[in-house]
Amino acid sequence: MAGTIGGFGGAVLLVPVLVTLGVDPLDAAPIGVVTVASGALSAAPNQLRSGLVHQRLGIVVEIPASAAAVVAALVSVHVPGTGLRVALAAVALAAGVVGLSKAALHNPPRPEFVAEPPAEWPGTLGGTYSGPGGPVPYHARRVPLGLVAMAGAGTVSGLTGTGGGFVKTPVMREIMWIPVKVAAATSTFSTGITAATTLVVFAGQGRVDLHQAAAAGFGGILGGFVGARVQDRLAPATVRRVLSVALIVIAAVLVVAR
Amino acid sequence: MSVHDGPAPHPLVGRQRLLVAALQIASWVGLAAAFVGLVGPGEVRDLAAGVFVGVVVGTPFGRLVWLMVRWIRRGDPRFAVAAGALLTVVALAASTAWW
Repeated sequence: MAGTIGGFGGAVLLVPVLVTLGVDPLDAAPIGVVTVASGALSAAPNQLRSGLVHQRLGIVVEIPASAAAVVAALVSVHVPGTGLRVALAAVALAAGVVGLSKAALHNPPRPEFVAEPPAEWPGTLGGTYSGPGGPVPYHARRVPLGLVAMAGAGTVSGLTGTGGGFVKTPVMREIMWIPVKVAAATSTFSTGITAATTLVVFAGQGRVDLHQAAAAGFGGILGGFVGARVQDRLAPATVRRVLSVALIVIAAVLVVAR
Repeated sequence: MSVHDGPAPHPLVGRQRLLVAALQIASWVGLAAAFVGLVGPGEVRDLAAGVFVGVVVGTPFGRLVWLMVRWIRRGDPRFAVAAGALLTVVALAASTAWW
């Protein structure tokens, strides 16, 4: 649920906890990926109906993310876990600090867009989001830099099974200037594809236990249902603070998990 | 590019009711399959867990195909190509991992 609200996926919490409890990182990764995919699946109808998710942007950023996730998943069986957890902690901490320190509003409400439905604009990486102060038009900035960062998110997902949403949402928000709720919903959509692609690779490696997947997925879908409904009602600043604090907590958990 | 440079929004944007309905059905089927895969008896449990994984993996890819076809039909070729490119990445991943 927390993962859907913040758009970073619950696996970024679950996987470090499993590793802390003694589960091998290679076994924890597929469980995390199933959780991410399940949460994205259950959150999808509500996020699409509300007009929060930008599918064109999600697909564009997902191309480098999925490609990187596939390569990372293929090599993950050869990567030592300790250094990876430290790197993950650094990324999560940096993203959390950036989210708390930068309060600038990139996309102010514009009353002249009041007649526009809250949706993406066909043929562009822009759209309108229905914010508390009125309609908020936006357009993705610095797309090439965002795509490079998304490849990093995919690498994190393929290596660790954490989905990479905790990187994608801050990247969309701070680099591409996407409103936080749109970024969170689009990240959930995009991360669901990353997770499904990664799961295909893990299954090919014989690392997916169907019964463990069902157990993780049941919780992931239930959490996604609740999270998507809560996400639609929260103020952007609240979502931003919750996400940032969660990222800092995640960093601490990752360090403790060593 | 500033926010003012975007084209006028299409009057039908956001009305993807068929996709929303399909995603809702997939979610409930996935939830039911996961539950049976968790507590069901014997072979039914195995089958349900397999169905669950199939739904979780297949739904996002089905959504991609749906969007690609929609954008082709609605004259949005750039993003149809993007969706096709992403599906190609997935196909290559599957072939590489299962080869």
